[in-house]
Amino acid sequence: MTAPAPAVRVGGRPPGAAAPPRRRRRHLGVYLLLVPALVPIAVGLGYPLVRQLVLSFQEYGLRQQFGQPARWVGLANYAELLGDPYVWAVIGRSVAFCLVNAAVTMVLGVALAVLMARVGAAARMALQVSMLLAWGTPVLASLTVWQWLFDSQYGVVNWLLADVLGATDMRFHSWIVEPLSFYFVATVIVVWMSVPFVVFSVYAGLLQVPTETMEAAQLDGASARQRFWGITVPMIRPVLSVVLLLQIIWDLKVFTQIYVLQRAGAPTRDTNLLGTLIYSYAREFSMAGALATVVLVVTLALTGFYVRRMLKEDEL
Amino acid sequence: MSTLTTPPPTPAVPTRTRAAAVRRRRPVRRRRADGRGGPLTRWLLGTLAVAIALLWVFPIYWMISSAFLPLNRLRTPDPTFFPVDGTLANFRRVLADPSFASAFRTSIAVTAIVLVASLVFAFLAALAVSRFRFRGRKSFILTVLVVQMIPAEGLFIAQYGMLDDWGLVNRVAGLAIVYVAAILPFTIWMLRGFVAGVPIELEEAAMVDGLSRTGAFFRITFPLLAPGLVASGVYGFLQSWNEYTLALVVMTDPGRRTLPLWLQGLVEANRATDWGVVMAGAALIAVPVIIFFLAVQSRMTAGLVAGAVKG
Amino acid sequence: MARLDPGRDTDVRTLRIAAAGAAAALALSACSSDATGEEPTTGDGGTDTAEITLWLNGTDTPDELRDYLVETFEAEHPGSTLTIEEQDWSGLVPRLQTALTSPDQTPDVVEVGNTQSPTFTYAGAFADITDMYDELGGDDLLPGFVEAGSADGALYAAPYYSGARAVFYNKDMFQAAGVEVPTTLEEFTEVATTLQANPPAGVENFSGFWLPGQDWYNGAAWIYAHGGELATKDGDAWQGALSSPESLAGLEQVQTLFQSATNAPVDADSNEPWVPFNNGEAAMFSAPTWARWSIDLPQCNAGVDPDDTSDEAKELLAQQQACNEEHTGIFPLPGVDGGVAPVFAGGSNIAVAAMSQHPELARDLLRIIFGEEYQTMLASKGLIPGNTEYASAMGDDVYSQAAIAAALDAKLTPPAELWADVEGQRILEDFFQEIAGGADPKDAAARADQLITDTLS
Repeated sequence: MTAPAPAVRVGGRPPGAAAPPRRRRRHLGVYLLLVPALVPIAVGLGYPLVRQLVLSFQEYGLRQQFGQPARWVGLANYAELLGDPYVWAVIGRSVAFCLVNAAVTMVLGVALAVLMARVGAAARMALQVSMLLAWGTPVLASLTVWQWLFDSQYGVVNWLLADVLGATDMRFHSWIVEPLSFYFVATVIVVWMSVPFVVFSVYAGLLQVPTETMEAAQLDGASARQRFWGITVPMIRPVLSVVLLLQIIWDLKVFTQIYVLQRAGAPTRDTNLLGTLIYSYAREFSMAGALATVVLVVTLALTGFYVRRMLKEDEL
Repeated sequence: MSTLTTPPPTPAVPTRTRAAAVRRRRPVRRRRADGRGGPLTRWLLGTLAVAIALLWVFPIYWMISSAFLPLNRLRTPDPTFFPVDGTLANFRRVLADPSFASAFRTSIAVTAIVLVASLVFAFLAALAVSRFRFRGRKSFILTVLVVQMIPAEGLFIAQYGMLDDWGLVNRVAGLAIVYVAAILPFTIWMLRGFVAGVPIELEEAAMVDGLSRTGAFFRITFPLLAPGLVASGVYGFLQSWNEYTLALVVMTDPGRRTLPLWLQGLVEANRATDWGVVMAGAALIAVPVIIFFLAVQSRMTAGLVAGAVKG
Repeated sequence: MARLDPGRDTDVRTLRIAAAGAAAALALSACSSDATGEEPTTGDGGTDTAEITLWLNGTDTPDELRDYLVETFEAEHPGSTLTIEEQDWSGLVPRLQTALTSPDQTPDVVEVGNTQSPTFTYAGAFADITDMYDELGGDDLLPGFVEAGSADGALYAAPYYSGARAVFYNKDMFQAAGVEVPTTLEEFTEVATTLQANPPAGVENFSGFWLPGQDWYNGAAWIYAHGGELATKDGDAWQGALSSPESLAGLEQVQTLFQSATNAPVDADSNEPWVPFNNGEAAMFSAPTWARWSIDLPQCNAGVDPDDTSDEAKELLAQQQACNEEHTGIFPLPGVDGGVAPVFAGGSNIAVAAMSQHPELARDLLRIIFGEEYQTMLASKGLIPGNTEYASAMGDDVYSQAAIAAALDAKLTPPAELWADVEGQRILEDFFQEIAGGADPKDAAARADQLITDTLS
């Protein structure tokens, strides 16, 4: 060692993790760095989003798609949506589903990432490959399998509960016919598919934590718990913030898993979330557009506080 | 996990020493990141990790196991856990399908373009927003965040119209453009987090030691970003590899379909779906994902080390 | 130009009552569109040469028929080519929503599912082919499908083929329970209940008749059989009709089946009903007649690898199929007073895209499709052809007979412009599931009617 181990400020802001960018010089070069990203976003995403917003103020369905003039209706689509108590019920459900799923996913994901960083190479590889398979298998196949696993008649879950664990009344249990039970199954599947992303991202973040810092802290007598909360968490906070934010955004829009489970035989109206509700307006583009704006507002309401805090603390 | 011989750079340490420390970082031997706990703890944690891995992979195991079974054994009162007397017929049928190879080539082409373009573009943008202050910086970051909050289910109509105007329907380039646009906001956000996670002092210290800013960046910061690039890259790879909705409307020509469209075609290849064949197809689609990951995963753990070795 | 004779009487006996109105309106509008001077047509196919594209969905149209279309079209139009692109049913709607709006990308002729047909027809996605009505088959065209492909009195999408549902049954189980093929709907319930009460030894969760909770495709037959409708048109407005006394009579009978004749899960739909049948857990199921190829009874299974193409394997597979069909019977669902119940029809329509750059060639392709030769080929492949005159070519085996009997009386979903939204919101799936779960049919029907009415307006 060439330098004395510095005092570790447990609980303080870690070095560099949230350090404000230092270079305040204004030069055009910076904008050049943004151009390659801005152009495709503006063209491939920005323009369609603006178009979707415009549609939400029109009466625009399949007829208009085939050339009939679109009529401006102002806020009528929004009024119709927000005047429908059912839409509010779906918003409420979606928010609850989103918060539960984001929380479960984050807790499990961070725990598994920490575990991954602590085990040997073989166990780590096993964990990584299984996560990757869960994440990377075509959803058409993986969701079909989940549907089979929870099938009332032939599902492995019922078979295990009844024939192995002896809960014989579960032999032909219908999992998705009651909304709460439906959301439980949906949560299992959503978490199963989202945790791998959190694990990989957080694990990547953990690898950025200099090992020396940890060792120094250890020499200073900090316990494992202190080191985790005092050093690791603050250092990977930018990554954690991003991942949590993305989870909330994605879980509020969750579509595929809900859609597939509904098709498997769940009561649709009782289990709709915002994603599937938008889809059911597939042919009334203006209503789907208006609902998309509503989703944006709900997401902002959910995350606004958090985003503002991030802005203030200059994590953005 | 590697342990380094020098203490971490902190503002408390003189700059020159820190730079020296950075350059002298060097892997010594592999050991636990956590010094606490004996072999038992380690064994327990390893066992726990493998158990979780098995639990997590079970649905995929079920998929692969189904791929070895004939249709009449897929859904029966007593499940088949080990297809020991299984058949390779499903895999043979998938591989004999000429459209598999063509879909495979299309998917590879789209994914390669999307991966390279989105990582490079996003990396530059992430660098700009996390290493420089400029007018419009926060609006840019917020915009990139907000576009991700809007459900995109209804966008395909406008995206199709745009590609149609440019003659890019049924073209790999057309699909790649909309994919890059869809993935960029996410990638920028992720990479921004990872760039922010690298202490800028490391870079500055190296500059004090005489490296140019570019040099310092590529020698010090870039290697530390490798895990983040891998994580974001895996995301981008999977998104464009498995995307269905946009590919559905953009690639209508049967000769230009991507793998997910081809897989959906398998579902409908017979009036009654032969799920064993579909599962075999899905398993084959997942193979390149694993290969891609194995190829890049060493970068994840090597990230820390690389900076030291090159220094 | 083919023209309907405005003075001609419509044969109400062969057309279903509702379709008669549509046909009469077609006759009128055919006149008026002629008077307003549509573009001139040349009976022998026009002069331009081009590449045209036909979209066919799924694998319902066998390769042999596709080859015939390409060869015939290209022989009749030297220099022009026909490309057939196969589309998946599951992704068809978004593809049609986009491709049909693009002059460059649009297919010239498209097949569209019969329940999707009204949506695109009303939207203006297809070209008006009212003037071809007689030429394509006139009143011999499947009436419900003509209705589904018509809007405001004009024909846009012609019937391509139809498939109807029939009941498959396990002959051995019928014998063991001492029951015969039922001849009325009432008897059907009794037979199903008796079967349910006498499960084969060792079978848990046995179903006399496999009827999953969300299976409205099959359940609708009971509503139709009692004279009810899913929705009716009152003036200009469509309204849910599940609460009508006729519909309720059918629904009560369905609920009896759910309660005493099936153990099928409440949370399942009409997919793959042959799975429990093959597992020996159901004595009957109702499905399109092509389900015969999915019957695979354990006592008949020869264990042939599906990719084994040797003569020996083919021989074994033929024996297996013969064995399956020996143990399995089929009958059309009986009506309330005997005869055949009007079941829910599957099938598709075929149309010329409005954006087609070669409408004359596209129309010529339609002429080939509706020619005697092609229609006969469709029938010989087990599909009810759009022109019912050629249905007799289907053959006289029990499956074809059951299929023809069921199809000639089959009914479609209401031809409302927004019907696809009712399906998109899965209102009927939810409704039948409530019935299966024991809800009072009257209350549930009133709620579902309200949703249907709201959606269709």
